[in-house]
Amino acid sequence: MNAAIVGQMVVSGALMGLVYALIAYGFQLTYATSKSINFGQGEMVMVCAFFSLTLTNLGLPYWLMVPGGLFFGVLLGLFVERAAVRLALEQKSEGWILLTIILGLFFFSAAENIWGRDDRPFPTPIPSEALHVFGISITPLEISVAVGVFAIMGVIELFKRKTLLGRAFEAVSVDRDAAELMGISATHTVMLSYGLSGLSAAVAGILVSPITTVGPTMASVLVLKAFSVAVVAGLDSGFGVVLVGLFLGSLESLTSFYVGSGWREAPGLVLLILALAVRPTGLFGKTVIRKV
Amino acid sequence: MVKRMLLIHGAEVLALFLLAAVPLLVKNPFALGLLTLLAIYGILLIGLDVTVGYLGQINLAQAAFLGLGAYTAGLGVTYFHVGMFIALAASFVIGLVFGGLLAFPALRLEGPQFALATLSFSALVATGLNEWESVTHGAQGLSLMRPPVFGVTLSAQGFYWLCLIVLALVWMAMQNLLTSQWGRALEALRDSPIATDAMGIGTYRHKAAAFAFGSALGGLAGGLYAFNFQYLQPQSFVYELMVILLLGVVLGGRKNLWGAFLGAMLIVLLPNLLSNRLLFQVFSFTGLAIAVMAGGRAYLRKTTRPFQALAPIVAMGLLVLVAIFVQNIEDLRRAIFALMLFSVVVGLPEGLMGFAARFLSKLFRVAPASLAEAVPLASVLAKRESDGSTLLELRELKRNFGGVRAVDGVSMMVRCGQIHGLIGPNGSGKSTLVNVISGLYAPSGGTILLKKAQLPTGSLYRAAQKGISRTFQNLQIFSELSALDNVMVAMKDTYHKGLPLVLLGLGRREERYAQSRALALLELVGLCDEARTPAKDLPYGAQRFLEIARALARNPDLLILDEPAAGLAHPDVKKLVEIIRNIHHIGITTILIEHHMEVVSELCDVVTVLDGGLVIAEGKPEDVKRHPKVIAAYLGTTARSSR
Repeated sequence: MNAAIVGQMVVSGALMGLVYALIAYGFQLTYATSKSINFGQGEMVMVCAFFSLTLTNLGLPYWLMVPGGLFFGVLLGLFVERAAVRLALEQKSEGWILLTIILGLFFFSAAENIWGRDDRPFPTPIPSEALHVFGISITPLEISVAVGVFAIMGVIELFKRKTLLGRAFEAVSVDRDAAELMGISATHTVMLSYGLSGLSAAVAGILVSPITTVGPTMASVLVLKAFSVAVVAGLDSGFGVVLVGLFLGSLESLTSFYVGSGWREAPGLVLLILALAVRPTGLFGKTVIRKV
Repeated sequence: MVKRMLLIHGAEVLALFLLAAVPLLVKNPFALGLLTLLAIYGILLIGLDVTVGYLGQINLAQAAFLGLGAYTAGLGVTYFHVGMFIALAASFVIGLVFGGLLAFPALRLEGPQFALATLSFSALVATGLNEWESVTHGAQGLSLMRPPVFGVTLSAQGFYWLCLIVLALVWMAMQNLLTSQWGRALEALRDSPIATDAMGIGTYRHKAAAFAFGSALGGLAGGLYAFNFQYLQPQSFVYELMVILLLGVVLGGRKNLWGAFLGAMLIVLLPNLLSNRLLFQVFSFTGLAIAVMAGGRAYLRKTTRPFQALAPIVAMGLLVLVAIFVQNIEDLRRAIFALMLFSVVVGLPEGLMGFAARFLSKLFRVAPASLAEAVPLASVLAKRESDGSTLLELRELKRNFGGVRAVDGVSMMVRCGQIHGLIGPNGSGKSTLVNVISGLYAPSGGTILLKKAQLPTGSLYRAAQKGISRTFQNLQIFSELSALDNVMVAMKDTYHKGLPLVLLGLGRREERYAQSRALALLELVGLCDEARTPAKDLPYGAQRFLEIARALARNPDLLILDEPAAGLAHPDVKKLVEIIRNIHHIGITTILIEHHMEVVSELCDVVTVLDGGLVIAEGKPEDVKRHPKVIAAYLGTTARSSR
């Protein structure tokens, strides 16, 4: 086999893997505070991308469109928390799984009817002429994805570690009851986590759209792999998702090259089921001690 | 008795006859098609309800099992020319096998991870069906012929009856299952998986078997589905169908056969509802009216939170807007499903049947079947001769949690027939020690010998199988089960009939036998009159006693009572002492963790005192009480630092 081709496959796959990692990171944010995740995260990515596209079409320059899109993402995240998650958490039921799936379905249908079913290009000022490094071609667009993913994850992690609000977030993640007794409102923290999760979905949407184009189904494949990444890495490990994302991305790009493009979803799914069989808490997850 | 039979089974028989008679009265191919689909979806949803209702997990794989079953039947007929029954059996088996394979990893998970695993499985199946073109013809679809049955080519009507018969058989099998030990076990493992394992019932194997069975029903429905449509496409079995199936189960009502049937009816009618605008308008206005009335009533009576009352109204209001303003409602199909499902999940979480069941049970009071006679206690717990030999031996047992050495090298012996007290200040390692012995925690070092043989460690289930039974400091009763069922579910050496026999309804005699034995144990703890009371409604003291009775149902060699007197009022403590004394008379060896010193002094033959994860004293209760180290440990004199 040709080393350059394999290298090319690995690099471009890994860059895609970073997008999975970012979406998976969105799951982790909410899982940390409330042990719940948004099953409609893929639809959030898609709706945010469509919204940003509309902003662009309205004539907003790229650097104004981005904050607009991000703000919209935060709002959506808060909406999901209010409509689908809070009640179920208060009742200590797992109704939120169904409810977030339902909201996702609703978003999907709404997007289909508002923006249509066709895939549309997403304009971006970042050039897409390939650069060649060691025989591997890589576009500035792809580099922007990597930079964007690391930037947003870095900012959120810094926020969690360095600000008072972020410490509250961490406190609720570690022990919800103890945090509440110390006067931290768990409800507000969960809201915050859903807002941040929405923010990360919007970033993912804006970053990936120029590559994948924007359409109602753009994220359904992405999110499936993000699920795999999140579970394989463990739902409570910040940087595990990045490693697993990179690995899975390159693996599936190799699979699609050597086995056939239709099978590119398969490695992620198999990996997920295998990981669950061997380590249900994920490769980087913590084992919980049961108490009676 | 007759009234009972009529009320419970009358509706089912009547419904079956009505359904069977419809094609004779109405000669309408369209209606016949809907009825056939109703029967097929009925089977599918009963299978889905096993996981969603009884296991309480969101299962997103049922559509995939439908697809697997359908393709199995389709390919079997196309390539191997098998008959219909063999094809259906193959569909069932495929569901069972894949369900079992998926259950193995997936059921170690809870909640979101389980949903994710099943979701991935569905995606994997869809990919496989699509991409394995040489066999499945991929996206082009697979056409197949409906094979003859016993040489007779079935008409549409005949096929409908076949589906109906299968549905009736599945219905009966489920009913047999749910009224058996399996039904109780499923209920128990949702209430407390830890206690389910500690009682030797086995959380995991019940879950896996139930999931595999539910998936097999999905496969079976798939077989019928294939013969109904005679054309299969991978796109039919994707995510959207899954959401609709969940809508069916949740709207119909979980944990209810009728609920699954109602849900199936809804799924069948839904597409027709959307194709007729007027009908849809009527439907959406009715929905809004119901939401407003129910929500308003609940809000005024303050039985729900404002959100729970308001959200369905908003969702239904949106549905009405869609019905009025949107020309082509078909375009918004998904949004409409979403709005309906949302209103139901938020506003009516127990579903239509759950709602109706409350009314019906008020309307028709059915006396429960009479209970069996209690057998003499001696036939349940045979008196043992205690020869004073060593039953349990711990050698240098250790358990660390990170850097904390909760149990730090404990060696002790428990002799047959004795009550062995285990005391010590809070945090001294008593509970950790019994948690290691009973298998909740694996030891970090050391050995446990029961009757001179190594005890399996780190598994509640296997320790229970070896004859260890326990109660819990923080109650772990099966709160949804009645007191009687709590004991029955733990009964050892009582249920010998395998799952297939139970499904055929051949487990009834065992049931009766188990009941009479369980009643004897309830008598021992004085709860005979409360046999039918749900455990969650029992007073606190009675719940403690119930846990003891349940632990005794294991007929254990070693009984561990973890602070049984904690939180008991004085009269109950006296009762407890009486119960433990009776257990002692039978000759069951007991480890008793207790803080009440008078209880310990009154009951225990030997007392071991722990502090800081170490044994600091052992002996008769009165001697131990005077031991300087014990006094130091409890009162904290300077002797503590010199230890």
